[in-house]
Amino acid sequence: MIVPANPQGAVSLAPDDTAGAAPDEHTKDSFGIRALIFTRDRGLIVLWVVLILVFSIWASPFFAKWSNAVLIANAAALTATFAAGVGVGVMSGSLDISIPGTAALSGVVCGWLLTHHNPVAVALVVALVIGPVVGVINGLVTLRGFNPIIVTIGTLSVTTGLAAVVAGGYTIPGLTQLTFMGTRHYAGIPAPVWIVAVLFIVLTLFLTQTRDGIRLMSVGGNTEAVRRSGINSSRYRVIGFVISGFCAALGGLISTAVITSASPTADPGIIFTALTAVALAGVALSGGRGSLPRVLVGALILATISNALTIKGIQPYWGTVVTGLLLLASLGLEKGIEASVERRLMSAAQASVHSGKK
Amino acid sequence: MSTDAVPALELSRVDMHYGYVRALDQIDFHVMNGEVVALLGDNGAGKSTLLKVMSGAHRPTAGTITVHGREVEFHSPTDSTHAGIQMVYQDLALVDAQDIATNLTLGREILRKPPLGWLGFVDKKAQRKRSQAELDQLGVRTAAMTRPAEMLSGGQRQVVALARSATRVSGERNGVLLLDEPTAALGYEQTKQVEALIVRMARQGIACVLVTHNLPLAMEVSTRIVVLNRGRKYADVPTAKTDTDQLVGWITGARPSMFAA
Repeated sequence: MIVPANPQGAVSLAPDDTAGAAPDEHTKDSFGIRALIFTRDRGLIVLWVVLILVFSIWASPFFAKWSNAVLIANAAALTATFAAGVGVGVMSGSLDISIPGTAALSGVVCGWLLTHHNPVAVALVVALVIGPVVGVINGLVTLRGFNPIIVTIGTLSVTTGLAAVVAGGYTIPGLTQLTFMGTRHYAGIPAPVWIVAVLFIVLTLFLTQTRDGIRLMSVGGNTEAVRRSGINSSRYRVIGFVISGFCAALGGLISTAVITSASPTADPGIIFTALTAVALAGVALSGGRGSLPRVLVGALILATISNALTIKGIQPYWGTVVTGLLLLASLGLEKGIEASVERRLMSAAQASVHSGKK
Repeated sequence: MSTDAVPALELSRVDMHYGYVRALDQIDFHVMNGEVVALLGDNGAGKSTLLKVMSGAHRPTAGTITVHGREVEFHSPTDSTHAGIQMVYQDLALVDAQDIATNLTLGREILRKPPLGWLGFVDKKAQRKRSQAELDQLGVRTAAMTRPAEMLSGGQRQVVALARSATRVSGERNGVLLLDEPTAALGYEQTKQVEALIVRMARQGIACVLVTHNLPLAMEVSTRIVVLNRGRKYADVPTAKTDTDQLVGWITGARPSMFAA
């Protein structure tokens, strides 16, 4: 509801408000501030481009090729899927540790259904639904006032155990029905890359353009402020878990499809790789901020590094070392940029207070 | 603009007991639309308790609350919000990572036209425009609507938080804003900005209750001053008819209550 117009008030207010203000300055930040905000938000992409340029020279002629780009994208796809789950969870204010368990359970359930002569569509839908179901459980338990990390460690254990029960403790092999979303290429691009592209586009639009997505991010940033706006904030915390659960189940299905077998063992490494991508993307663990496209770039950077090292025949362990160093360096860089943004804005804010008072 | 003589919010004979402690003792209080009532008192005088009763956080032990002449009972802050009473908190009011427009529209977003609207897509351009219009209406200039709240100065933050509450209580029937130390932790310039905003909001017909320790602030912006002392109302005077000495007397208890039998 807009305040009813009050001509008298407006006239009497005019002198001290609009004096000396260019109408444009009113709605747009100065170029300098926008440039700094841009660097802060897009610095990771710059880093990625630099890495690609360096590797193109260092690992030439094999690195800078379309076929290698497809390889990198494919290698990044699985990490990106799990990173999307971790990322949305963190942005909504809860770190979801149960992702590897949910992934294992969903893969195994899909495998079990397929080996028991169920249609592929049924197997996929049931396996995918497991994710949101685990998410709702995580969310509802967390809402009782428990720490999300502890709660999801609990569900990690439960889902891992259930996966082993379903599979009888053994890997379910020979799931060739799933190659259409595993190793098959469409228009020269592997299926997992397509899936990840759709996932990220949908989730990014959701988080930045829709009412529920924006509220979800806001709940992660400041639950109190959202609650005081008369919004049921609990609902949005559960939605965060539901999305991360869905990403986990999807990731479990993709890896099942790629290796054509479903393993009941949850790999906790998934969480740390995903977290590395999320941290590279500058998603604050305190919640409320971060962007999914940057998480995608984070996953791509991890894949790019390990790809280049593989081409040069360097032991993959060095990839882990480089990734770690890169993460630490990016923290330093981020801090530097943040400080300079703050300085710029501080002076700008003071200027606007004075011009506002005339 | 409601110009009726019915108070926007009225409390009569409100008691609040915490165990054996009488935090509020037979308090009568009202605020009209367009009025800024400053609520003064020493620590423990009952200001915060009274504010909590008004905002629905506490239920009074006895007494009645009426909003625009209608008797109400608040079971939670949500009830008071629905009745058109908004509390402006000193902190925790804004979502740092979101921009000003999003902060102002949270909970009353503008959706795009169908079919995108059906999917819950918000019309950010319209939201920015409305937010700008609302701030213009209040005579506030802060920063670009796309500026994240974390990049605002303390004064700008407080102004946005105030404006956010103001836009939620104004409508065909103007509501009540409860302000708890709105200028604490602000510099001189910023304090002046917030003071000017409070006066403007009142001029637009919003009823403001201002709880503060800051006497100059109360003298500057309020139209009426109520002093509490150990749970009792000691004074209720138009600001123009009192001065700092008198007020300090009531606050400390050195001066006898206006309502002493």
